[in-house]
Amino acid sequence: MVISGIGQSAIGRQLDRSGFQLTIDAILAAVADAGLSVDDLDGLAMFPGGGAANLPGYANGNLYEVQDALRITPRWRQGFVEGMVLPFFGPALAVASGQARHAVIWRTVKEGSAARKAGGRPAYGATKPAAEGPLAWLLPVGMLSPVCQVAPFAARYMHEFGVTREQLAWIPVTQRAHAALNPDAVYTKPLTVEEYLSSRMISSPICLYDCDVPCDGATAIIVSAVETAPDLRSPVRIEAVAGQVEGRPSWDQWEDMGRVGYAAAQAMWARTSLGPADVDVAQLYDGFTIECVWWLEALGFCGPGEAGAFVEGGTRIGLSGELPLNTWGGQLSGGRLHAGFGHVAEAVRQLRGEAGPRQVAGAEVAALGNVGGFEAGAALLTRW
Amino acid sequence: MDGSVNATVGIPPGVTEETAAFWAAAAEGRLVVERCAACGTESFPPRGLCRACRGREMLAAEVTGPGRVYSCTVNYQRWLPDLEVPYAIVLVEFDDYPGVRVTGRLRGCPPEAATIGMTVDVGFEPGPGGFAIPSFVAVPSGRGL
Repeated sequence: MVISGIGQSAIGRQLDRSGFQLTIDAILAAVADAGLSVDDLDGLAMFPGGGAANLPGYANGNLYEVQDALRITPRWRQGFVEGMVLPFFGPALAVASGQARHAVIWRTVKEGSAARKAGGRPAYGATKPAAEGPLAWLLPVGMLSPVCQVAPFAARYMHEFGVTREQLAWIPVTQRAHAALNPDAVYTKPLTVEEYLSSRMISSPICLYDCDVPCDGATAIIVSAVETAPDLRSPVRIEAVAGQVEGRPSWDQWEDMGRVGYAAAQAMWARTSLGPADVDVAQLYDGFTIECVWWLEALGFCGPGEAGAFVEGGTRIGLSGELPLNTWGGQLSGGRLHAGFGHVAEAVRQLRGEAGPRQVAGAEVAALGNVGGFEAGAALLTRW
Repeated sequence: MDGSVNATVGIPPGVTEETAAFWAAAAEGRLVVERCAACGTESFPPRGLCRACRGREMLAAEVTGPGRVYSCTVNYQRWLPDLEVPYAIVLVEFDDYPGVRVTGRLRGCPPEAATIGMTVDVGFEPGPGGFAIPSFVAVPSGRGL
């Protein structure tokens, strides 16, 4: 399977257009990017499906409305929440089994506008009257946000390995420098380690600059059958993808909070002859800085507990370093397009050589890590 | 909200057949997990099913503590109107109940004094929706487990 198209709407802190219009913008852009027409699409998927809406602006639109508006006759369609792994995983399975030839998946967020309207980033689950499932143990005691839920992972990791905030600061600081080269990024003004260290704490040890930026925007990704490659403008190969998870599936019950993503990473590496040393550029999920740390270690770019030293100074993860990291700014500066959609779009741009001033020279292999914990996914994309 | 004095602001739990016993015991100030009638293993959260042997007969087992903080965070952000901040959240494990980890608030010390490895006693406080929520009590240093 290949990724044949990526498309994005305008992206901004607040956009004055509906999520549905942003969705259509992204899908049409992805279709044009692939060299296809809308009529070629026969698979449809979105995240989240089923109206999963734990945060205002988190869920947008409706698969059937998109299907109807674009007059698509899908042979396969699906909404994802649990186990999406990476955005292209489900569509790739549909294409691999012959159920679809060109399947599009999209993710639209209006969290920037929603946060503005609410006067700040709202509580996770505030859209529901009572906390259900695993959240029933978290929200009532005051773990009211993913920040609070992930913070104990960061605390435990830093405790076990002696990693410091001074070291981890280099992830958001370096990514901000990358964002300055991305005209679509939400935040582009330079960020310093000192500004990071003096920023307000949200839920210790996670500070403001460890949190991604709620924004408005849509991303669409098309997966196509490999035999359609001659019809495609610039396909990118899906070399390997896996989503195995080794821990208990809730934020407070994960057994070993110092180690996250290892099962997915190992399952992914087992599906390719390539290894960490072959990777030219990494787009690793960064809802929070610590999630990037998980993937740096789980994917084997450094050893357990070594990410602090690895990122310190920003040289290794800079654009001309050994592992350029989140070259679009990541969700920390580029915007919370969420669930790996922004990361996949950038990986495809880099492998095509279409990343403009932030292009990593000779990028042929891109690593992806998505989310972490019980929704982990790891993948490798390669140049066609 | 039920109008309880000084109840913690938040979102109440949805109570299910499996979790009703936990919240009922919490209202009495007792921390109750499930113990398998067949193999004796404790499971939490309650699911009416043993995580060790998948047995379906589960008995109530009271955890009396003390416990040890596996990890923690101090929340400074006012996620809801009237939410009092800062406050510490602790993830607590118990030597005699392997596999059981319970998340709750921390009191008995300043929030910033929460540390990994500290000893805490079991406790509860008035929470959202009239529910009693886990609220562990810091044990003065010197009194170990």
